[in-house]
Amino acid sequence: MEFKEIQFIDSNAQRVYRNYIQSIKNATKQLYAEDALEILMEFNSHLYESVQIKNSKSEIDNLLNAIDKLGAPEEVLKPLVADKMLDRATRSFKPTDIFKALFLNIGNGISYIIFGILYFFIGIFTLCIFLKIFLENRSGMFYSADIFFIGYTDDQNLLINEVLGNWFIPVMLLLNIALYFILTMALKLKRSINIKYKK
Amino acid sequence: MNKEFVVKWKSQVKKGTLSFIVLNTIGKNELYGYELIEIIKETTKIEIAEGTLYPLLNRLKKEELVSSKWVNQESGIPRKYYLLTKEGVTTLEEMTDYWKGLELSIKKITNHGI
Repeated sequence: MEFKEIQFIDSNAQRVYRNYIQSIKNATKQLYAEDALEILMEFNSHLYESVQIKNSKSEIDNLLNAIDKLGAPEEVLKPLVADKMLDRATRSFKPTDIFKALFLNIGNGISYIIFGILYFFIGIFTLCIFLKIFLENRSGMFYSADIFFIGYTDDQNLLINEVLGNWFIPVMLLLNIALYFILTMALKLKRSINIKYKK
Repeated sequence: MNKEFVVKWKSQVKKGTLSFIVLNTIGKNELYGYELIEIIKETTKIEIAEGTLYPLLNRLKKEELVSSKWVNQESGIPRKYYLLTKEGVTTLEEMTDYWKGLELSIKKITNHGI
């Protein structure tokens, strides 16, 4: 399937049409190419059918009427793009896709905010790995009877409680990978539950 | 008469029955979006905004009640046809049964009062 541009006799109609098509492309640019094309083609098909009506109105009037009824792509397509982006993120496992998907879905329930916070922990743990690389003697996992934390300290009394030593980086790496995998699978499960039982 | 109340009530009824109307219409024939809006407008006098219909079709598709297929046209601009899935057919039957029961109850109430 290929997108075919509608040809208008009126150059103003052609310009309005092209602007609208561009807005659809902009609203769907984060999606997989085939998903974006599917949306674009359906809107295009609707516009084409709308301007085919034989009535007393001009070409541009019919087009503007159809565009008004469809609505602004960035608004109308918002829920669809948010859902498709979630689908893309849980399939690609790419951090950038997950970030975009969570950002787009942030208004769709508190669960996405919780997911955002949990993913933020992965960022913190990654930062801890870098701290260990550059400040080896003052960072790590500190544990004793009354304290537990992961990070950086200058307190000499606390430094003796560092428990992982050279294992810190591999342990944190594994923890990050496991957490990332579990969270992304949970996000995928959440999406399938949404579809089955409707939010 | 409280016109505002009636307008709101009509809008709520319309909103609540929209998926039933759409599933019923697609159940009779495979239809593309524009055609679906026109048929619903002709048969029920209900005007569905395009901005409402397409997200609804997408939701019905996600819930696996309808599927879609692209059909090439001479114009070179294909149409996306929607049709009921097996699950869509059984769901619509269930909805129709409920609707008939509701219709009967409403008739009893409107004819004889409570």
